[in-house]
Amino acid sequence: MTNPEPNNGKTRDELLQRIELMEQMIAEGRRYTGRNSWIFVLWGLVDLVAIGWQQYFPHFGGPWAWPVCLPAGVVLTFAGKMLQRRSQGYSKSDKCGRVMSVWGMMGLAMGIYVASAMLTHFDWQFSYMAAILMMMGMAHAISAMLLRWPMQGVVAAVYWAGGVAILAFNSGKATNVIWLIEMGVVMIVFGLYATRVEQTGSRLKGGCA
Amino acid sequence: MNSPETDNGITRDDLVQRVALMETMIAEGRRNTGRFGWIFILWGMVCLGGIGVSYLLPRSYWVWPIIIASGFVIQFAGIAMRRRSGNWTGENIKSRSVAAVWRMMGIAIILYAAPAIVTHTIHQIAYIAAIFMFLGMAHATSAMILRWKAQGVVAGLWWAGGTATYFVPRDYVITIYVVEMVCCMVLFGVYAMMLERRRAAAPLQGQVQHHA
Repeated sequence: MTNPEPNNGKTRDELLQRIELMEQMIAEGRRYTGRNSWIFVLWGLVDLVAIGWQQYFPHFGGPWAWPVCLPAGVVLTFAGKMLQRRSQGYSKSDKCGRVMSVWGMMGLAMGIYVASAMLTHFDWQFSYMAAILMMMGMAHAISAMLLRWPMQGVVAAVYWAGGVAILAFNSGKATNVIWLIEMGVVMIVFGLYATRVEQTGSRLKGGCA
Repeated sequence: MNSPETDNGITRDDLVQRVALMETMIAEGRRNTGRFGWIFILWGMVCLGGIGVSYLLPRSYWVWPIIIASGFVIQFAGIAMRRRSGNWTGENIKSRSVAAVWRMMGIAIILYAAPAIVTHTIHQIAYIAAIFMFLGMAHATSAMILRWKAQGVVAGLWWAGGTATYFVPRDYVITIYVVEMVCCMVLFGVYAMMLERRRAAAPLQGQVQHHA
């Protein structure tokens, strides 16, 4: 079989090799998301605990619900990641690296944003709550584009819709309901779904912790 | 030179080829950012223009919607012109990833800003800080993908601005906004375009020297 030269001087074999590499990397990236989907479940639960504490036990340190639950979530995330790295062979492909960059930078941006707002007591503003949902949506959307994963794209759209709805309704009650649905239900459901995809999708080989 | 088998049946040549491919893709990704450097300058100017006009017309609600819409019109016109002139290159996997980051950041900011403008929530401190954080997040992700320290510094500046917005007195927020737009938008755009020009000129200079 001949290898005619297409544009940019790349041979057919080279292009096929590139496509194969890309497909492999996309599969690895999805697998990476699946392996780390426990983090979504964890943060969904952290949010639910904080909301429940604030709502039902306001006299038992209610104002401290978020300042206590958020650092606890961070500690649990790091501890879980360390355990995961120790128990599995740790490798990192380029696609995993990019998805990690997206979530890593989202986490960093969110950490700085939330901490600053809490310290200065601006965390009651609707634009603050909406911004958090927009950031989550942005990370999901970028990851969905990188991994060509429509389901994650849907999740991104749900987060963005929540952010828009908070600003559009501009009311405390609506914000609480949207926040509960987005941070509790959507986060946990997507985490469980991604875990299931990772478990059932054994056709995907390789991966990174 | 022989190619001993490493793990997973991948030979040394395969690995070298992969590394070379990734380095090429990183270089192409950075070049693409440079080619779109004018968009940073454009939006820096749009935001500074918006601040200036709203200072002159403090009671008008239409300043920002008109200014932002003009920014989009100019951006799309610029992209259409570049496409028509043939100055539009194919994308590789790395530049596609960076493009995905910027596109999604753009959509997020539009979806966030539009209802905020309509419901007059843009005066909230958390709104201004969020815009800085979104921009910082996009720069930081792009910097990680392209391993570009200068862009990482720009991301840091955006985040620092977002944090400072919460802590400084209200009167200084506008100063932070202007400084961020000038340094992180306009100057970064100029820097990226200069790098791209230098890179584009380098092979031509090489060819001239070779012929001489």
